[in-house]
Amino acid sequence: MSCSIELKTVSQLFVNNASEKNTSTITLFENLDLSVSQGQSYAITGPSGAGKSSLLMLLSGLEKPSSGQGSFINDNHISSLDNLRSEIGFIFQQFHLLPELSALHNIALPLKLRGDKQAIKKAEHWLEKVGLSDRAKHKPSQLSGGEQQRVAIARALVFSPKFIFADEPTGNLDQHNANEIADILFACCQENNAGLIIVTHNSMLASKAQNIYSLANGELTKTKVSLINPILEQNPEKVTVKTAQVTSC
Amino acid sequence: MLMHHMQLAWHCTQQEYRQPHQRLLRWVQATLMVFIVTLTLSSNTIQDYLQGNLQNLLGADAVVTQKDKLTSKQLKALARFSENVVNTLQIDATLTFNDEWQRSKLKAVGSDYPLQGQLLTATSPGSPTTATNGGPTAGNIWLDSRLISSLTLSIGDVINIGEQAFIVSRLLVHEPDRLMEGHNVSMRAMINIDDMERLAFPTDLIQHRYLVSASKSQVQQIIEWQQEQLPAAQIHHKQGAHPLALFWQRTENFLGLASIILFFMAAIAIEQIAQVHLKKEQYFSAVCMSLGVSKATGLQLSVFKWLINILMLIPVVAILSGIFHWLVVGWLSETFSEISWQLDIGLMAKTIATCVLLFAVFHSPVWLTLCKTSVAKLFHQNQKSISLGLLKICALVVLVLVAVMYSDNGLLTSMLVGSIAITIMLMVAISWTVLTLGEKATQQFSGLIPFTLFMMKQRLLSKSTQILGIGLSTFLLLFTLMLLKDLGDTMAKYQRTHDGNVMISQASQSQMKAINEWSAEHDISVRQTKPYLYAKVVKINDQTLSEFTNKPSESLTTLSKSIRLHWSKDIPNTNRLVQGEWWQEKPKNWQQISLEEEVMTDLGLSLTDKLTFIIHQQSVTFTITASHVYKPGAGSITFWVQMPQEAIQHINAPQYNMASLELKDDQWPLLSQLWKNHPTIRMISLQELTKQFDDILGMITKVISGFAVMIVLLAIIVILSAINALESKEKKKNSVIMSFGFLKTTCLQLNIIEWLITAFIIATGAIAGTYITGMLIYQSQFSLPYQPNLYILLITLAIILSTVTLLGVYASRHSLKSSVKQLMAEI
Repeated sequence: MSCSIELKTVSQLFVNNASEKNTSTITLFENLDLSVSQGQSYAITGPSGAGKSSLLMLLSGLEKPSSGQGSFINDNHISSLDNLRSEIGFIFQQFHLLPELSALHNIALPLKLRGDKQAIKKAEHWLEKVGLSDRAKHKPSQLSGGEQQRVAIARALVFSPKFIFADEPTGNLDQHNANEIADILFACCQENNAGLIIVTHNSMLASKAQNIYSLANGELTKTKVSLINPILEQNPEKVTVKTAQVTSC
Repeated sequence: MLMHHMQLAWHCTQQEYRQPHQRLLRWVQATLMVFIVTLTLSSNTIQDYLQGNLQNLLGADAVVTQKDKLTSKQLKALARFSENVVNTLQIDATLTFNDEWQRSKLKAVGSDYPLQGQLLTATSPGSPTTATNGGPTAGNIWLDSRLISSLTLSIGDVINIGEQAFIVSRLLVHEPDRLMEGHNVSMRAMINIDDMERLAFPTDLIQHRYLVSASKSQVQQIIEWQQEQLPAAQIHHKQGAHPLALFWQRTENFLGLASIILFFMAAIAIEQIAQVHLKKEQYFSAVCMSLGVSKATGLQLSVFKWLINILMLIPVVAILSGIFHWLVVGWLSETFSEISWQLDIGLMAKTIATCVLLFAVFHSPVWLTLCKTSVAKLFHQNQKSISLGLLKICALVVLVLVAVMYSDNGLLTSMLVGSIAITIMLMVAISWTVLTLGEKATQQFSGLIPFTLFMMKQRLLSKSTQILGIGLSTFLLLFTLMLLKDLGDTMAKYQRTHDGNVMISQASQSQMKAINEWSAEHDISVRQTKPYLYAKVVKINDQTLSEFTNKPSESLTTLSKSIRLHWSKDIPNTNRLVQGEWWQEKPKNWQQISLEEEVMTDLGLSLTDKLTFIIHQQSVTFTITASHVYKPGAGSITFWVQMPQEAIQHINAPQYNMASLELKDDQWPLLSQLWKNHPTIRMISLQELTKQFDDILGMITKVISGFAVMIVLLAIIVILSAINALESKEKKKNSVIMSFGFLKTTCLQLNIIEWLITAFIIATGAIAGTYITGMLIYQSQFSLPYQPNLYILLITLAIILSTVTLLGVYASRHSLKSSVKQLMAEI
């Protein structure tokens, strides 16, 4: 069963209240069409303020467009994006792990909320997948940025969502860590057959996606379509090195 | 440069003015300052009043009061210490005019009255007052304006007391020796001393007062003489304590306790707010330092901002405290006549300054942390702060200082502080147990409750700070309300102890005979009759009362005045024996008594202890052989002290009776006839009794309401502060949960469950703490037996659960306004 998200002729505007008397309307984008499918990866690039994050919010159904329509197609059954809520996960630039919880408990969190009795077992499995088995009891403050993001990736995927939305997931990491995290993220999403939608400025990260879009001046342009494994295509050496970690996803 | 910094601080203060933590801080500081300033001003007004009262209203340098007339030998002895001795007589009498009656204090004075000060009278209500030397001449009576209006009399009218007729010739405005009446608000009447003799009232009902002018050393000699020769007499002098001093000391003890409780609550609120404040100030200071500004400047700005905030509060506090003080004085004037409102600006400034200083200490951890802050703070968001422990130590030091400053009762303070410490430990234990066991027990189950328990357990440290903050406030609120309620109930219990609709509290044997005849004649039913005689305790176990204890005690104060000593062969049907024997089978041992259990406990007495009474100038020592309590259902007249019937044969003293009557509606006018012939019968109707009770209850209700409002206000601030302190964490948690694909409804459900669990822990801890505190404090400090009512406790539990949950959920609504987008926006 494959799912997809479709945005049709969506526009996003907001009112700018510069002062009580002067209000103006700013148009982020107009009449934009976009379709994302489960199992595929997408990167949305573009300058700051272009509306990338807003587009991400529209795709995830967390915000409504000013005009146009968004729909969730699940096995040919079309419904509103509200039905997508329980099928999505997020990964943030600031990781946003809960500081009081250990790495293991942070990962187990969404499962526990869903009443999964196997939460801890599954979380341990995911911790192993992202290569942090030995850090299970560590609190976020005791982990490096890269390690925190690995925990965040595991947490986002542990409940098997159909789509993962990532907002600058490597924005806070150095190049080496950024590459590692990107590889893990793409590999894990692929292994779980989750659609991955990344918003980023980082062209290296964007290039790993199967589909790359550029959002600038209110227009969305598709710049690349790739059907083969981006990791194998772009960084064969890296894959060899990281096989032990990544292939497990 | 300083000017620039001040301008910058002013600008920052304006920017931060509407932030929730600043708003909460202002509320807590203003509330506490208004309370403390009002309390200090009111307390000072009363102290001044009592002092002035003692100096100006004694009407003499010393006053000796006793039931019997001094013998000529005793008078001679008194005259040795002073040349000027003025005798006045006073009796409680009911004055009648047409069909109206009114109880009043009838005072008899001679031409040598007053000794000191001015006797003021007027010719009619509203006319100018004149100072008068000497009291009314024979056949004249002067009445105060209330008595004149209550009997609808006019100057020139003639009223009868017993067989004597008196012309109402002047209006009595002021007696210089009114202090002796304490806070008595009885209506006043004055006659000539010779008329009193003609009225031939029973001599034992007349109170004799001897006003003496004497130097300090002479006063001392009189005191020594009185202790040796007239142990049953009372002496008041200018160097001594005001008759209301004991009453006021008890009040101050209670207010001291209230202040400590409020300071604790304020400290909790400020401590919670400081957690948010600390982070913001540290961040601001680190940003300033990253821009090349010195650490000292950052600190300076923080101090200026704090000062500006406090300075802005002071005018509001001053105005509000002034208004509240005025209201309190207005209210107190019902009890302390002639008390007047005067604003002591100096005292107000001093109190505000002390409060500001205390707040500065509360705030000092923030400044201390700023001294240790560095730009590195900006890079390490999770940097552990050393100041949290410091915060708590500072708060504790200030609270101890406040406790020492505001309490004159070390034992009470340490008991309260001890109870708070026990409650803290209890709440920590309950939190840990509930969350650990709850989490373990629900591990195998799925759903929101197990998840909430899991999350709370994981966040035990931060959550327990919140639980402790709110829990302590709830405990203090609960304890105070329980205490006030129990005090009110006790008052009610003392007051509502009469049957019938007319209560006779004192009738001599001849008067009782007349009452019986009058009742029989008019078919009025006499419900109960119980004989007694007056006795005054002078020694306990051969120690004088002052040697025995210096702790304020209601029982001791009452015993040291004249109490009613009842005798009976068998246990009265209004009493139940709780210990000892009624009576020991020794026919010759008539010197045994049974003492009411509460009095025994209050004074720490036990069986075989000895009490020495003065009964009609005789000293009699009794051994406590039994203890009794009141048993409802068989009438309501009961006595604290009772002795065997045989004892009465050995004691030569006037005997009186207590009785209750039931009058039909049309029989009420008949009372004036009885009073006209026997003006000294002490009778009170149910209406008057109810009014007295309602007045007292009204006073207590006002105190309870006023104080409860303060505590509830502070408790709400504490809850809001505790929520504010964790708001950012909560917000983030909710956003993260939503990022897992959950709706806001789930967050709300989790929030409600979390607050229910929190409220359960808080309620259990607060109730347990209140119980322990009750056990510790009630008996030892307020002479109240602590008997918690399970039903009330359960209702309280339900109220706390629902209130804390509702308030918690309502106040957390900001944290529910979170979204995934906000997490994205955080860079």
